[in-house]
Amino acid sequence: MTEKRRLGAFICHCGGNISDFVDVAAVRDAAGREDDVVVARDFMFACSDGAQAEMSELIRSEKLDGIIVASCSPKLHLNTFRGMSGRAGLNPYTYNQVNIREQCSWVHRHDTPAATAKATRLVRGGLARSRFSRPLTDLRVETVPAVLVIGAGVAGIRAALALADMGIAVYVVEREATVGGNVATWGKLFPHDRPGSEIVATLLDDLNKHPNISLFTNAELTAKSGSVGNFTVQVQLRSETISLHVGAIIVATGLEPYTPRPGEYGYGTPGVITLHEYKQLVDEATGPLTYQGKRVKTVAYIYCVGSRQGSDPDLEEPNLFCSRYCCSAACHSASLASTADPDLDQIHLYRDMRTYGRHEVLFEEAGRKGSVFMKFAGENPPTVESSDDQLTVKLRDDLAGGEQAEIPADLVVLVAGMVPRERAKLQEILRLPLSKGGFFNEIHVKLRPVETVVDGVFIAGASQGPKTVAEAVASALAAVSKSAALLLKGYIDLPPLVAKVDASKCTLCDNCFGACPYEGAITRQEVDGRQVAAISPNICKGCGGCVPVCPNEAIGVDGVTGTQVTAAIDAMMKDRVHA
Amino acid sequence: MARIDPGLHRELKKYGATGLTACMNCGNCTATCPQSTDNEVFPRRIIHFVQAGMTDKLRGSVEPWLCYYCGDCSETCPRDADPGESMMAVRRYLTGQYDWTGLGRWFYKSPAFQLTAMALTALAVVLAFYFLHGPIVTDHVALDTFAPVASIELADRIGFVILAALLLSNVIRMATWILRSDTDHPVPFALLLREFLTLPVHFVTQKKWLKCDAASEPTGRSLAARLAWLKSTRWVRHFFLVTGYLSMMILVEGALPQFQTDAIRPWFHWTRLLGYYATVMLMWHGGSFLVGRLRKSDPIHKFSTPSDWMFLVLLLAVAFTGILVHIFRLSGLPLPTYVMYVVHMAVVAPFLIIQVPFGKWSHMAYRPMGVYLAKVRQSAREKLDAAAGELAPA
Repeated sequence: MTEKRRLGAFICHCGGNISDFVDVAAVRDAAGREDDVVVARDFMFACSDGAQAEMSELIRSEKLDGIIVASCSPKLHLNTFRGMSGRAGLNPYTYNQVNIREQCSWVHRHDTPAATAKATRLVRGGLARSRFSRPLTDLRVETVPAVLVIGAGVAGIRAALALADMGIAVYVVEREATVGGNVATWGKLFPHDRPGSEIVATLLDDLNKHPNISLFTNAELTAKSGSVGNFTVQVQLRSETISLHVGAIIVATGLEPYTPRPGEYGYGTPGVITLHEYKQLVDEATGPLTYQGKRVKTVAYIYCVGSRQGSDPDLEEPNLFCSRYCCSAACHSASLASTADPDLDQIHLYRDMRTYGRHEVLFEEAGRKGSVFMKFAGENPPTVESSDDQLTVKLRDDLAGGEQAEIPADLVVLVAGMVPRERAKLQEILRLPLSKGGFFNEIHVKLRPVETVVDGVFIAGASQGPKTVAEAVASALAAVSKSAALLLKGYIDLPPLVAKVDASKCTLCDNCFGACPYEGAITRQEVDGRQVAAISPNICKGCGGCVPVCPNEAIGVDGVTGTQVTAAIDAMMKDRVHA
Repeated sequence: MARIDPGLHRELKKYGATGLTACMNCGNCTATCPQSTDNEVFPRRIIHFVQAGMTDKLRGSVEPWLCYYCGDCSETCPRDADPGESMMAVRRYLTGQYDWTGLGRWFYKSPAFQLTAMALTALAVVLAFYFLHGPIVTDHVALDTFAPVASIELADRIGFVILAALLLSNVIRMATWILRSDTDHPVPFALLLREFLTLPVHFVTQKKWLKCDAASEPTGRSLAARLAWLKSTRWVRHFFLVTGYLSMMILVEGALPQFQTDAIRPWFHWTRLLGYYATVMLMWHGGSFLVGRLRKSDPIHKFSTPSDWMFLVLLLAVAFTGILVHIFRLSGLPLPTYVMYVVHMAVVAPFLIIQVPFGKWSHMAYRPMGVYLAKVRQSAREKLDAAAGELAPA
């Protein structure tokens, strides 16, 4: 048996969420009878200020050296009670949470005695784990005040400028020979009619003036090692490979305009062009539009090309997302075209008009300037036919009560959406997960929109999903604030719940190397003249994947050591239950 | 499958439409329209036919004639696209389309053309009197000698037959287009006969118009409240204006020898009373509509095209010159009577010749026809649906 401990057991009613189905008083009493437990209490809401104050007071007055709170899922309140323990002078990592709500009361509403028995066993297990808990301290990692920005589009450059203004060194790596990405190739942009090339020129001007920014064009990331706060990256330039030290990485690789498949809505036929191509025609026009030397009198726009393809049964991997910018861009282009030629007939075939937010005025303006809108359903897309130099678009017009319409057109504009850029190589190097649409994925769509599962690697702009310029820049600046918050302090405290190797037991069988999902977390090291596995605490996330594959039980994760887990199981399985 | 005409909305602009492409098809107008029903859905769909360039669908639509321009739709429109005025423009456009001579389209699209045509007609009338008038008696008023009533009546009859034939031929075009547009519900001839009474009833009463004011209609039995409500409707003003026209028609087409006579009848003689009644109605209501257009007080009077102004000005001119002829005659002024008579004719003839078959006045035929055709089509639908119900397996 181990040394004597002074443990506290706190059981929560969670209003009635737990106590309506579990006899909390019985659980509390059973906990009180467990070895080393010096105080057992129950609370209506353990997370309330009053309850936390009372628990803190008990920790101090009873000189507790470990506590459990039996309440909800640790996802909800693990950090709450860890923080409370810390403030009360108890090592936060001696705190254990027991989940008797999601894993007990909510799923056993029909059987109070059994639920109570189960809760009692769960509490016992938690207490057993606490009995073997050890005080742990956070791992402090010094950070490098430099950021690698991948991609010199609007998002990348804007991020670089903002970071550099805060005194952080920035390396911008651009695959192409020129900067500005897609935006540089576009003319007048909504909503202010400022050309994309001009926006990029302004940004580039600022970038060139900034002493804290190094721009590498014709450059590509080839390797990454290290961990949050301390990455080493290899960048392939034209003639050499350079190595850079950075504390964080911002991925701003942007988008690719969707290219229709040959024959998709007649794409490939003369006169059938994408919005991107049409926009260039409109931007250059000073009077009536001309296409291949002929005056354009009627334009038909087909919306949602390459987006929202869920209703197309022929596609293996349909793009399910809405590309967000295209409705607004098409309406804006139509207004520009109307200005160039007020007699131009423009017919928009759309599914749902998504000129969201302030872009609604673009939709209205296009109408007032003479554009006509006809609606079709996703499962009934229009078709484009061509004969004798004349294009005909056929559609079932839902706004005319399902009337079949044949639209004669000189130009058919496919309002094509956005798709992810080719990113396989980058994804392999950075190990970033992808969303359903193939864009880089954030951790939490609402609350952690620019962070990824790889600590220290952030995503910005349209690499994450279709965005307008304004939205891309906003997300870039969010990534800036997240990375600056990480680096400006100079260090990062990481939770110490990481795996450790008992060098004396390790035989370097290599099993753990294969089980570890984190690049570079396990390395070989010489200890006492022997090659053994060693785990870098900065990279390890404490997932425990290496523990069961070790034949010698040489690896344990702090906070959930083998001893703790075994003790917990034994305690839970103990025959007699005092309830 | 219909080939659309992308420029149709530009064409409609020439008929006075203002906000056609500003419409985003939200349908608030249809939801608020007191006349729109499950089968006759408007204004949104009609406006979309114009936007989408569906000429055939538009020509086959009866809906524009079921709209009396209360203006609720224009007030509700979130885009200020004036759907009410669009419907008005569609009626003008359709009037031009029904007219097989093509003159109607020219009159609407070119006020100058219309003015010239009227001036020429007036000139023809003046010249006819100049060369063909009878002896001019100057010591007393002898209008019947100056313009023998038999000749005038003959010209009157000929004119009536020609105008009626023109209007009728246009009405037949209208009916054919509308009945053929709904191929799912063919209308049997017997049904056309069965519902025929609708036509004269609505021609005389225009009672469907009252549905526009149904929301404010009193529910109780109080006659006073009901009369007050009727008085507030636009229908009532128009109705009395129509009674004025009809009175005039009875006098001119049915009783000209009694009406145009050198004998001074007592003031209570029926021809004089009917004449006074008609004059008062025409001047009173024609005047109030003119003031309405000038003040733009009602939604229907917010927008005025040249054809609208011409109609009202001519209407008042007809009544005014007519009453002057009467006054001069009673006052025993021979020459002023003859001159004013010629002037009166020079206003009446162009007014009737241009406006009845080709212009705004043709709505006297198209409106009751629209109500009638809608009713016929509704009966056809119900009949077919009932038959389908019987055939359907239980």
